[in-house]
Amino acid sequence: MTSAIRADHLSKVYPTSSSGARALDELSIDIPPGRVYGLIGRNGAGKTTFVRIAATQLAPTSGRVEVLGHDVMTEERDVRLRIACVPQESRPLYFLNTEEVVYLYLKLRGLDPPEARRRTRDALDELSLTEYRRRSVARLSGGLRRRVLCAMVLASDAEVLFLDEPTTGLDPIARRQVWEAIRRTSREHRTILLTTHYLDEAESLSTRLALIERGRLMLEGTPEDLRGRVRYPYRVTVLGSYPRDELDSYGRVSPIEGGYLVFAREREARELARRALERGNRLSMGPVSLEDVFLEVVGRSIEEEAPKDDGEEEAVEA
Amino acid sequence: MTERRRFRSLFTLVQLNGLIPIRTQPLYLVNLIASPLSFLFFIWIVSKGALLAYGITGGMVLTMLSVGTGLQSDLTHYRQDLKFQDVVVASPVEAPVYVAGMALSELVYSLPGLSVFVILFVVDGFATPTSVVVLAGAMLLVWSFATALAFTLATYFQDVRETWMFSPIISLVLTVLPPVYYPISSLPSWARLVAHFSPTTYAAGLVQGAVGLAPISISGAVLDWGVLVGFTAVLFVIAAVKARWRDL
Repeated sequence: MTSAIRADHLSKVYPTSSSGARALDELSIDIPPGRVYGLIGRNGAGKTTFVRIAATQLAPTSGRVEVLGHDVMTEERDVRLRIACVPQESRPLYFLNTEEVVYLYLKLRGLDPPEARRRTRDALDELSLTEYRRRSVARLSGGLRRRVLCAMVLASDAEVLFLDEPTTGLDPIARRQVWEAIRRTSREHRTILLTTHYLDEAESLSTRLALIERGRLMLEGTPEDLRGRVRYPYRVTVLGSYPRDELDSYGRVSPIEGGYLVFAREREARELARRALERGNRLSMGPVSLEDVFLEVVGRSIEEEAPKDDGEEEAVEA
Repeated sequence: MTERRRFRSLFTLVQLNGLIPIRTQPLYLVNLIASPLSFLFFIWIVSKGALLAYGITGGMVLTMLSVGTGLQSDLTHYRQDLKFQDVVVASPVEAPVYVAGMALSELVYSLPGLSVFVILFVVDGFATPTSVVVLAGAMLLVWSFATALAFTLATYFQDVRETWMFSPIISLVLTVLPPVYYPISSLPSWARLVAHFSPTTYAAGLVQGAVGLAPISISGAVLDWGVLVGFTAVLFVIAAVKARWRDL
């Protein structure tokens, strides 16, 4: 089966970078078709650079990316026929009204006017934008403008959609409406590459996820896979007093208000839970969240990189 | 992409960047005719009407160049501030279709201004079959090279403010220094030499010759067309090679 997106040893150094730092560093990734694929990472981790290269907006320094089997550098026309993108900082043209933004985008892509009109109506309806259809974009809130952009690409006929932080600035209800539209779109066997800082969003929508840090792929797999591949896959919250040195023997300990958060392996987590209950502590226990995974992996990466960055061994110990 | 879809994309851009903004803000129309009509008024007053014909032909050339400077600002704004160009790049719309559609949409803004000049052109008795053909050809070439220049520059600007800096410089180099608004014979010899580096000198020479303002020989006309076509072709080659549709 052809991958929706496949990157092979992809690297990017921006010509404007004085330090020659790599925005992407030998990144290889294989995104299956017909699913929502989440790309997570810190600011500056390389998510947008990857999206822009795959969406044919940016040239890589080395390596190769294919979208639906077509090379993005040599067969870009074939790629562009089949993709749509909401860039991270894009804004709709302010002199258009909501309906025109979606309808004219679809016509711009070459859709017949009746088809464009039908898709526009459906997309505005799905994202609860119908009541704003005649309102100028200039008079919409930031969140509504973002929704209009999402409606625009979700209404398109593209097979691969790039959504770069599509729900930034949306309220919880609007976010869920966009999530529903994304899920509906993926049920049409279209592929969605989603970058987001909201880990609940990534976990809720994505069939598979990739965690990128400093341009490198740190983890890849289903949300379950990712949770299972950290050093400590369980979290135990212990409330009340408990000897700290004893807790340290179970795993990684973080003080929280009124107690401790302990990351541990399954056996140690069970043991700690039993002891804590015997001592009369209140506790909760469960698998780590995606946010815990993110913090552990990214935190480890920061620790490993610290001596290289500032050349001081003390930074690791601190 | 089929030809039918290309045309649909092209006319959608005209609608999107030309017709709809005019509907929402009609003052855009006044903006583009303000400079050429101001020049015309100034020339009419200072020359006591003697150079009015130069003002009319020059005004048409300046209007076509204004399309280019307007395009440069719009393309930069759409690329840098709205990320609209990124949206278009990641779609079936090809770069030449985007540029042509945007350039045509800018032409829509200039139509009222052009209409004023065309009326004056006809009323003053300059409209002959030859002059109309020469005028149309020269203006098409000015519009074409202004478009190619605008697209190339717009892909390098980091901010729309940079276009505000460049537009007056382009106007100076292409309409004030060259003899667009006056006969080339009125320039000192050194300035005449400099003027020959500007393509608008040849466009103005052709139009002024066709309406009988300045004598032009057949060989002179052939040379002027050759330079104008050559300059436009060079700018298109530069645009094809140097303009950035995909960022580096």
